[in-house]
Amino acid sequence: MDAMNILWAVLLMVGLGIVFALLLVLFSKIFYVEEDKRIDAVEKMLPNYNCGACGKAGCRDLAEAIVNGEVKKVSTCKAGKKDKNYDPIIAYLSSTPGPDGKTINIDL
Amino acid sequence: MSYIISFILAIVSYMVIDNVILSRYFGICSFIGVSNKIKSAVSMGIAVAFVTILAALVCWPIYTFILVPAKMEYMETIVFILVIASLVQIVGYFIKKKSPTLYRSLGIYLPLITTNCAVLGVVESNMAFDFGRSMANAIGTSLGFILVIFLFACIRGRLESSNTPKAFKGVPIALIVAGIMAIVFMGLSGLIDLGSWGVI
Repeated sequence: MDAMNILWAVLLMVGLGIVFALLLVLFSKIFYVEEDKRIDAVEKMLPNYNCGACGKAGCRDLAEAIVNGEVKKVSTCKAGKKDKNYDPIIAYLSSTPGPDGKTINIDL
Repeated sequence: MSYIISFILAIVSYMVIDNVILSRYFGICSFIGVSNKIKSAVSMGIAVAFVTILAALVCWPIYTFILVPAKMEYMETIVFILVIASLVQIVGYFIKKKSPTLYRSLGIYLPLITTNCAVLGVVESNMAFDFGRSMANAIGTSLGFILVIFLFACIRGRLESSNTPKAFKGVPIALIVAGIMAIVFMGLSGLIDLGSWGVI
């Protein structure tokens, strides 16, 4: 009997979890915001420590600032390494045009 | 007494007399943490109010129509956490779409509402009430939260420029002020007697 109780409780949580997951997916589709695809790409190339040493509220915030042109140097990211993070970001941004058709030339 | 008058009295009672911060001691973390500036305090208050009312609206039917018939009332806390976390996420999507500037100014405080004990506390205490009283509880508590966090932010603004002893600067004097505010609000206790209105 006790085992059955646990099973029902687990099933209930799984059921509710699925319902809310579906709702979240639905709402993320309804309220989808068109964003510059380069922000995601730059975020992936950053170290993703979310250390905050750059003065931004995490790596995503810094990636946004880099793509928007607020941050002029990749080395604003203190935790990054030249060959692992800085060089790929510089190469990516200088080769990939944004929605306005322009590329970004960012300094080290 | 008619239901509507009781409803309004309950809102007033939960707003000032049985205040969420000063007499039930919920939500102290955001009360101290976000009350440095009036603007961020009020935005935090409004966001918490929104989530509290929505959570009360959703959790009461889930408890009454799913958990009680299934005899799984002991699961309430974890179910409510699930509901609140999902609601905060949905509210986040909504604000991001409709008002990116508000989304930016709320920043990290928006996801932090998930762990705001005021929301969970209200929803938990609602389970002894019928739907009307639980909505009165949610609305009154939200208004009370906004009111008190706004007053506290104003007082802290004045404290910044006043000459406090070095050891009391910042959070210590703020905590003392919060204690004095709680004593002031205690003077209102017993003003409205809701009795057993809306208790199941």
